[in-house]
Amino acid sequence: MVKKLVILKGITKTYYTGRIAYQVLRGIDLEVEEGEFLAIMGVSGSGKSTLLNIIGLLDKPDYGTYILDGQEVSKLSKKELAYIRNRKIGFVFQAFHLVPWATALENVLMPLLYRGNLKKEDEERALQFLTRLGLEKRINAKPSELSGGEQQRVAIARALITKPKLLLADEPTGNLDSKSSQEVMKIFKELNKNGLTIIMVTHDPEIAKFAQRIKIIKDGIFVEE
Amino acid sequence: MKISFFQFLKDIFKELLSNKINFLFMCLALTISLIALNTIYSLGLSAKKQVLDALASVQFGKDAMLIIAGGGRIIGLTTTRTDTLKLEDVEEIKKLDFVTLASPMSRGTLEVSYKDFAEKLRVEGVFPNYTIANNWYPKIGRFINENDLKSMTKVCVLGADIPERLNTKNIIGEKIKIAGETFEVIGVLESKPSFGHFRRDESVIIPFTTAQRRVFNKDYIDAVKLLFREGTDMKMAENKIREILRKRHNLFGIAPDDFRIITPDLAISVFTKTMRTINVFLLAIALISLIISGVIIMNLMYANIEEKAPIIALRIALGASSKKIIEHYLIMSLFIAIISGIAGWILSLFLMEIISFFTPLKPIFSWWIFLLSFLFASFTGISFTLIPAIRASQIDPAILLKSL
Ligand SMILES: Nc1ncnc2c1ncn2[C@@H]1O[C@H](COP(=O)(O)OP(=O)(O)OP(=O)(O)O)[C@@H](O)[C@H]1O
Ligand SMILES: [Mg+2]
Repeated sequence: MVKKLVILKGITKTYYTGRIAYQVLRGIDLEVEEGEFLAIMGVSGSGKSTLLNIIGLLDKPDYGTYILDGQEVSKLSKKELAYIRNRKIGFVFQAFHLVPWATALENVLMPLLYRGNLKKEDEERALQFLTRLGLEKRINAKPSELSGGEQQRVAIARALITKPKLLLADEPTGNLDSKSSQEVMKIFKELNKNGLTIIMVTHDPEIAKFAQRIKIIKDGIFVEE
Repeated sequence: MKISFFQFLKDIFKELLSNKINFLFMCLALTISLIALNTIYSLGLSAKKQVLDALASVQFGKDAMLIIAGGGRIIGLTTTRTDTLKLEDVEEIKKLDFVTLASPMSRGTLEVSYKDFAEKLRVEGVFPNYTIANNWYPKIGRFINENDLKSMTKVCVLGADIPERLNTKNIIGEKIKIAGETFEVIGVLESKPSFGHFRRDESVIIPFTTAQRRVFNKDYIDAVKLLFREGTDMKMAENKIREILRKRHNLFGIAPDDFRIITPDLAISVFTKTMRTINVFLLAIALISLIISGVIIMNLMYANIEEKAPIIALRIALGASSKKIIEHYLIMSLFIAIISGIAGWILSLFLMEIISFFTPLKPIFSWWIFLLSFLFASFTGISFTLIPAIRASQIDPAILLKSL
């Protein structure tokens, strides 16, 4: 039997703007198996990022249960969530979110820095990742000196350095041209083949095709395609 | 662990450098108030040291005491008779085992003239041990000796400034007039610091016996300088001497002392009192400026945190705990404090040099000031960064997916 890495049941989330309540997620049920590559699609404002924030433990649902890697996580403290994020989840963002004053190598090592036990071997491992992603000549470059595709590859290396079980990507190709987008998706495909579970948000059907499974969210709830 | 910490510091420092204007103004604000604080503090130390040095140079640093005829407040008019202190009192005091030296004197302000110079100067009738009692020796010529006392010779020793006032190169052997009597100059004293209005270097010293019989015509003395064995308990000494004098002067019950006892501590406190008042006032201003610089730092820190919010959110998303984020910004303020602490210290040393050009205060080097500068810088930096740092730790990492 394949293990379920992510189990969401009846997840809801409401935002309040002043006195106006806006229910963004209206009962999300989702199961993701280990080794799966899932794409979540939907129009702008449908709640994709909100859902990904909850899956990534960056936000808490109002109601519902969330079991990540066999552990109920919806009631954990901020500190415990930070710990789990650091150990189990890698993030890739549309806007890359690299630290502008740090080199490619330093950016990759950042998650280990906050773990507080950066070792010499880690640097070696980061270099290996960067090399595998074709960035061996750019390890000391600042983000501003890198192209969008290169920046996203640095971000992928940063997401992988902690050996996460789950990779979350929100529009990873949203800021990239089609050539770089293809490259990034090939990397994702490759990582998935090696066993990494990936949940990716996109509204580009071409990009979604790289995933094994596609789910469509509409007004805060999954719909059948 | 070590690499982590080094990288952590590097990240903090680079973040600081990423907004140089912000960084500069934080340091500038703190540095300026530290310059003020350090300078004011060292001026205080310098002034105090000067008083202490001056007192020590006239043998009044410690283990010494001055008894002045006439009771009353330390500074101010006498409120009792002033003619009751006698040489016999001194003889009695000398019997105390801790008294190693007693040097009585009488004094007055008299007209001193030489050629076309004529002025009222302070004239003191003293014993030969005056030199030891005040650590004051002739620079040229000789001092009054036992023979002068016995023979009541009409000789005088001049304060260092007088020869110049008299406009004479070779003053030794010259005859000057004191209250109409002719005296031969036998020596000139070395220069000594002055206290308040009293210009020590403008005194004229004559033998005690000559002063009493031929000049002042009195049988009482005006003061006696005492030296004690090293380490004598001043309080005990003062009590014993007061007891002797009150008994000999027939003062009982609530009758006030008809003499004043001046100890080195008392002298220091009198000389430093006004200074201290001014100093406290200036220090208060310096501390207020420190608070203002703290508020400036707080605001600039807030601005920095606002600007860096996505990066802070990223750090939190990547697993940084609240503690780590707070630590991050407190260490950042410590960087600023260290830079400002050093700059404020060095610049205050320069400022002291400049001030010493225009005032008699000499620059003073003290590691205390260095430490003070550091402590106040760190305290200000950290305490005013605490609230922004806590705010930073509460940034919602969910903005990372929403900020676009
Ligand atoms: N912090 C918030 N406060 C109030 N409303 C919010 C907040 N975050 C999101 N929303 C609203 O929730 C809805 C869903 O937002 P979300 O970012 O999840 O959409 P999305 O599907 O990711 O859209 P896009 O494709 O544009 O990124 C939007 O209407 C948005 O305005
Ligand atoms: Mg979105």
